Amino acid sequence: MKARFLDLLVSVAAAVFLGLAASAAIMLFLGKDPLSAFGLLASSLIRDKYTFADIFVKAAPLILTALAFAVPYKASLFNIGAQGQFYVGALVASAVSLAVGGRLPGVLGQAVALLAAAAAGGLWGSFVGFAKARFKANEFLISMMSTYVALAIMNFFLRTSLMEAKHEYPQTDSFDQGVWLPLIVGDTRLHAGFALAVLIAIAIWLVIYRTPFGYRVRVVGYNADAARLAGIDSKRTYVATFFIAGALAAAAGFVETNGVQHMLVQGFNPGLGSEGIGIAILANANPIGIVFASILFGALKGGGVIMGQMSGIPASIIEIMEGCVMIFVILSYFARSIVERRREKRELQRRMPA
Amino acid sequence: MINLLANALLMSTPLLFGSVAEVLAERSGMMVTAIEGIFLIGAFSGFVGAYACKSLLVGLAAALGSGVVVAALYGWITVYLKQHQVVTGTAINILVAGLCSFLMRVFFGVPVIPLTVEPLKKLPIPLLSGIPLLGPILFAQNALTYAAYLIVPVAWFVLYRTSLGLTIRSAGDNPEAVDVAGEDVDALRFSLVLVAGAMGGIAGAFYSIGYLGMFTTNIIGGRGWIAFAICFLGNWNPLGALAGTLVFGVAEAVAISMQSSGGGQLVPNELLIALPYILTIALTMARRSFNVPGKLGVPYAKEG
Repeated sequence: MKARFLDLLVSVAAAVFLGLAASAAIMLFLGKDPLSAFGLLASSLIRDKYTFADIFVKAAPLILTALAFAVPYKASLFNIGAQGQFYVGALVASAVSLAVGGRLPGVLGQAVALLAAAAAGGLWGSFVGFAKARFKANEFLISMMSTYVALAIMNFFLRTSLMEAKHEYPQTDSFDQGVWLPLIVGDTRLHAGFALAVLIAIAIWLVIYRTPFGYRVRVVGYNADAARLAGIDSKRTYVATFFIAGALAAAAGFVETNGVQHMLVQGFNPGLGSEGIGIAILANANPIGIVFASILFGALKGGGVIMGQMSGIPASIIEIMEGCVMIFVILSYFARSIVERRREKRELQRRMPA
Repeated sequence: MINLLANALLMSTPLLFGSVAEVLAERSGMMVTAIEGIFLIGAFSGFVGAYACKSLLVGLAAALGSGVVVAALYGWITVYLKQHQVVTGTAINILVAGLCSFLMRVFFGVPVIPLTVEPLKKLPIPLLSGIPLLGPILFAQNALTYAAYLIVPVAWFVLYRTSLGLTIRSAGDNPEAVDVAGEDVDALRFSLVLVAGAMGGIAGAFYSIGYLGMFTTNIIGGRGWIAFAICFLGNWNPLGALAGTLVFGVAEAVAISMQSSGGGQLVPNELLIALPYILTIALTMARRSFNVPGKLGVPYAKEG
C-alpha cells in the first residue's frame, strides 16, 4: 500500500512536469520563449498577496465541479454535465440573492441562496440518474446534453426576467452586499467559498469512505452484479450519486456568483465542468487529492491570465497546459500499472523459491 | 418547404459523416469520445488550409489529416495503452479546444473584421436537379453532401456484406474469437479509430468552410456529441444513423428558419436552440432494445 501511494505521488508529479514541458515545447515551436513565460507565471503568482490569494479563489469552484465528477465516478457513472449543473446553481443562487438581498440578514440570505441552488442543481442532476435507473439511458450522453439545455435556460432568463435594469447586457443587476460571501483575507478576493469547498471535500471523503452509503456506492462501482446479489439497490445509487453531483456543481455556481461576480453574467466560466473532470482524473477521484489538484489548476489559470497580459502569449495556453497535463496523467496510469505488475511478479517469485 | 428540406439535408451532412464514423468505430468496440475535438480540429485546420492556400481542397485535406492525427493520439492511448475511453476523450477535447483558440490567435492575431473564405458552392447536377420537388432538395447541394449520400450504403455494405465487416462486428462483440482467428484486434480497432478521425475531420470542416466560411472557437458547440448520440440512437447501424441524422437536420433547419423568420416572438429563441439537445435526451430515454456491441468501451487484453 505504501509503495503504491509513493508510486502515485511520483507518477502524478512526473505527469504534471511532463505536461508542462509538452506545452512549453508547443510555445517554443511557435517562437515564444517558454522559460521566460513560466518564469513570468511563477513570479507573478507570488508577486503580491492579491494574485496569490486568487489561486484559491479560482480553486474553489474547481474543487466542487471536480467532486461533481468524482462522486458518480465512484459508482462507475460518468457525469459529463457538471457545467450545466453549475449554470443551474448559478441561476438559482442569483435569482434568490436578488430576491432576498437586503431583506434577510446576510448569513441567512447566503444560506438560503446556497440551499436553493444545491436543491435545484441536485434535482437537475438526479434527472440524469433517474433516466439511467428507469430507462437504462446512457448517463454520459444525457448529462452531456443537459448542459446545453441549462445554458439555453440561463440565457432565456438573462434576456427576460433577470436582465439588468437598463436592459443592455445579458446579465443581472449587482446583488445586495449582504448576500456577498465574506472575505477571509483582507485586500484580496479570497472569500469564504474556498473554505466552504474544502469543508465539503472533507465531508464527501467521509461520506464515500466512512459511511454505509459510501460503501454501497463503491460496491456498485466495482461490480454492479455483485452489488445486486448483495441486495444493494443500484438504481437508488444512480439517482443519489447524481443528486449529490448536481448539488455540488450547483454549489460551485453559488460560490462564483455570490463570492466573485456578485451578479450573473451570460456564459461565464465556460470551462469549469471539463476542468473538473481533468482535476478528478489527476487526483484519482480522491476528494482530498482533488483539493490539491484544484489549487494546481487554480494556479495555472491565474498565472495564465497574467502571462497572457504581460508576454503576449494567448491565455488559451492554459487549456493547452491543462490538456497536456491530463494526457500525461492518463499515460502515468499506464506506467503505474506496469510498475505494479512487475512488483507483484517479484513478490511472487520471492515467496515461491523455485 | 423545399428550401427547408434542402437546408435540412445540408445541416445533416456533417452529422452523417460523424455518426457513421462513430458507428464504424463502435462496432469494433471503440467509442470515439474525442469526436468533439476531432470535429473542432477539422473545422480549424480546414479553415486555415483554405484561407492560407485559397483552396477548399487543401482545406479539406488539412481537415482530414488533422482529424487522423488527433484520432491517432486517442487510439494510441485507448487501444494500445488500454486507458479509459471517456477520460482520454475528455482530455483530448480540452487540449484541442485550447490548441485551436491558441493557434487562431498566433496565426491571425485579433482581426478587426472576422476572416472569411468563400464556402463550398452548390453544385446542381444537370438534369437531376431539374426534377420537380426532389431535384432542388436532393441534387442542388454541395459536394460534401453528395459524398454523404455515398457514405451510408458503403458503410452498410462493408459492415454487413464483407468479411472485413464481420471481423469488425466480431471485434466489438467477441474480440477473443477475432484473436483466435488470427486477426490483430488492436490493429483493427486502431485503424477504425483513424477512419473515424478522417471522417470526423471532414465533418468539422463542413461547419467552417462548407457552410459558414469562417471559424470561431465555439463553432462546433456540441455537434460532435450529437453525432456521438445519433450513433447510439441509430442502434449502431448506418441506416439508423441516417434516420437519426435526418431528424436532427430537420430540427436544426426548422430552428434556423424560425429564427430568421421572426418566429422568435412565438417561441423563445433559446428553446429553438436547445431543441436538438432536448430531442437527444428524449430519444435516448425512449429508445429500447439496443444492440450495444458487447465489448463497447472495453480494452482488449490478451490472456497470459
